[in-house]
This record gives sequence, structure tokens and C-alpha cells, in this order.
Amino acid sequence: LPAGLSQWFPALEVLDVSGTGLAEMGTELLSLPCLHTLLAKNNRLGGPGSLPKGLEQAPLARSLRVLNLSGNRFSEVPPALLQLRGLRSLSLGGNRLHGIPPDIQELQSLEFLYLGGNFITAIPPELAKLPSLRYLVLCDNKIQSIPPQLAQLHSLRSLSLHNNLLTYLPREILNLVHLEELSLRGNPLVVRFVRDLTYNPPSLQELAGRTVKTRNVPYAPSDLPESLVRYLSLASNCPNPKCGGVYFDSCVRQIKFVDFCGKYRLPLMHYLCSPECSSPYSSASQSSTSQSESDSEDEASVAAHRMQKVLLG
Amino acid sequence: FRYTRNLVDNGNGKFNLMILCWGEGHGSSIHDHTDSHCFMKILQGNLKETLFEWPGKKGNGEMTKKSERVLRENQCAYINDSIGLHRVENISHTETAVSLHLYSPPFNTCNTFDQRTGHKHKVTMTFYSQFGERTVCVSTRRDAPR
Repeated sequence: LPAGLSQWFPALEVLDVSGTGLAEMGTELLSLPCLHTLLAKNNRLGGPGSLPKGLEQAPLARSLRVLNLSGNRFSEVPPALLQLRGLRSLSLGGNRLHGIPPDIQELQSLEFLYLGGNFITAIPPELAKLPSLRYLVLCDNKIQSIPPQLAQLHSLRSLSLHNNLLTYLPREILNLVHLEELSLRGNPLVVRFVRDLTYNPPSLQELAGRTVKTRNVPYAPSDLPESLVRYLSLASNCPNPKCGGVYFDSCVRQIKFVDFCGKYRLPLMHYLCSPECSSPYSSASQSSTSQSESDSEDEASVAAHRMQKVLLG
Repeated sequence: FRYTRNLVDNGNGKFNLMILCWGEGHGSSIHDHTDSHCFMKILQGNLKETLFEWPGKKGNGEMTKKSERVLRENQCAYINDSIGLHRVENISHTETAVSLHLYSPPFNTCNTFDQRTGHKHKVTMTFYSQFGERTVCVSTRRDAPR
């Protein structure tokens, strides 16, 4: 960036230096008090000097709303970027990212996040701590699974996951109340009913814990060692609506298919408290897919109707 | 947040001329063209077109890719149902794309196809804008705006 930029253009609000071969952006950025949009795509950014030091104290940290760094050479999200507290829109598409830092949750104002076309293999659950996130693009990466915590992204309207390595989705994805668009094509999604038969029987501690919880056995912190009080607080509810039981560590993973708008059947991973918790018909007929569909229909039909633009084909 | 269809001219009912605006990473589903001619010209950016064979009668099993190509700025393409089905997508993660489409006769429903199974599903297409005015969506929940 040319020296003296902030002296000549102190009121600069939008700066577009895309396609200029820039390898680093220096301290000239720090003294631009009004800058809200910075477009620097298709450059040679990605090395150590890409973003200036001292960003945290600069006015830019509060003023910048839109940052586009797509088509550069970033192999990791630069930590300095996470200081941009006012950022609403961030694009790092077409870079060389292998992961997303958990500290992404610092960008609390983020509404739009584009990370398509990288080499990302996993999504940190901390990504779910972005309360305003509406559009999340993760297409064309190497993602193998979606953390169930992503269901906490209550503002999410659009989720792009096409061309990844997903075989199933967590059933919690149905909890995304405002999700309208979901793209999933180009993933090796399981198409047949699959049941994970490796079930480790629960420990005596787990069995006791389940009984305490499901029978509402009263207890006070003075009755039990602190570790057990904590253990009891970690009970998860079995999602089978006919069960009402709880589980701690011992659960069955099962893939069930959920019908979306009469169009597509999505494989969703369920955690159930025991093999007996699955459909009363499934133990009799594992190969039949119609029973598993009707089983999931009730619990998923409401959420599925909401997702009108599921793009699978 | 997907590509928008913007109607420019309806040629007294003989054709639909529209401009499609594709954001980074946006793509269409595999679709047919309801017995109409379809011309496409790239006005900005690049679009990848993947041609598919029609699925067999049973519609079970992965659909067969015929060919694919990247259409550059000012290039034109043509398709109709006898040629096959296609998917059009902006595969760029940095550039948007704009294309001009001419459909004759005009149609507002088509079939979309699941690449993994060949199953088809009829959808009604809607416009993001018509003649420069934003079209407010009044479709029922069963419609899938394209």
C-alpha cells in the first residue's frame, strides 16, 4: 500500500486493492479511521506481513465491516484478523486453509462467512458461538463431519456444504429454525439404512445414573461426591420421543433417514440410549427402509418443511 | 442466498429473456428444459456446464455425466431436452458471474434430478425480479424457487 495513504484520503471508506499482486498490507491501514470495506482478493497475501501489527488498537478494529481476502495464499486464518471486532462479512474463499481456528468466535458481529475452496477437514464447535451468523459457506473443502453444536447457530439462513466428504449429518441440524437453504451435493452421503452395531454396554455407574435421572430420585450436593454430582448433570436426553430416557457415555449411533419436502432423504446420525430405543420394527427388518422413514417422519417433518431449498441433486 | 433469475423481456409470450446472477460457489441443480429451446450467453465471469444423460426408466443409480466445459465471457451455449440435461455452476470462489438466458417457448416449471439416484422432482421456477422490479415471493411452501 502506498505510504501516506491515510494522509491523502483520511475519509476513505472503501478500499479495493484486488488483483494488484500485493504481498503484504502495512501500517498505512492502521490510520484510516473510516474504512468499513477492504477488498484485497486475488493477491499474494498469506505470509507473515499480510496484515499489519497493532491492529487491535487501531480504529480499523472497530470500523471494518467487510473484508474480502479470497484468492490469496493464506494457509491459516491470521490471528490479527480475529481482532476485527466489528467485522460483519469475511471471505477467505480460494485460499489454502487447512482448518478454522476456535478463536473465530471472537468475531461476534459476523453475519457472512465464506470459506469455500480450501482444504478444511474439520469444523470447530466454537464456530457455533457466532450469534449473528446468517450465511455460512464451506463448499469445496475436505470436511468429514459436522459438529452437532452447529445447531446453536440460531440465525443461520443458508449453509453451503457441497463437494465435501460428508457421509451423514447430525440430527441436530433439524434444530436450525431459520435455515432455508442447504446444499449437500457432491458428498458421499450414505444412501442405505445403516446401523452401527458396536454398542458398548453401559457401566454400573451409568446404569445407576440413568435410574437416578429417569426416576427423579432426589439428591442434594451433600449426598454425593462432587464428581458424581457433576456426572449426573451431564445426562443427555435420548432423542427417541417414545423413550424419555437419558444416557451418559454409552449410546448407540444410528443413521436414520429424514424426508425433506417429499424430495430427498437425508441421512442423519442419531444417538440413542440403547439398541432397544430404535424403531420397534427395525430389529425385525434391518433391510427395510420404509419403517425407518416412518419412524423419523414425525420428529423431522416440521423441520423438514422449513427447509424449502435443500439442494441435494 | 443463491443465484437470482431476473426477467428482462417476455417477447409477447413467445420467449423469456432473463439475466442470471451467480455469486461465488453458486450452482443449479441438474434440470431439464420442458421441451423448449435454451440459449445461454456468459456476460461476466465463467460458468461450468456439466451435461448428463437422461436417467433410465427405473431412476436407480448414479446419473451418467456426458461432458463438462467451462464457458468463458461472451461464449454461448444451447441445450434442449433431446440433447440431455445439465447443471450450471459458478465454480469460482472469488468472482461472481452473470449470464443471459433465452427460453423459447417460455416455461415456468421443470424437473430437477438427484445426481445420486436419477429421481426427478417437478419444480416451479420463480423470478427474483421482473423488468427491474423486485418480485415478492408469494409461492407456497411446496414450491422450490429456482
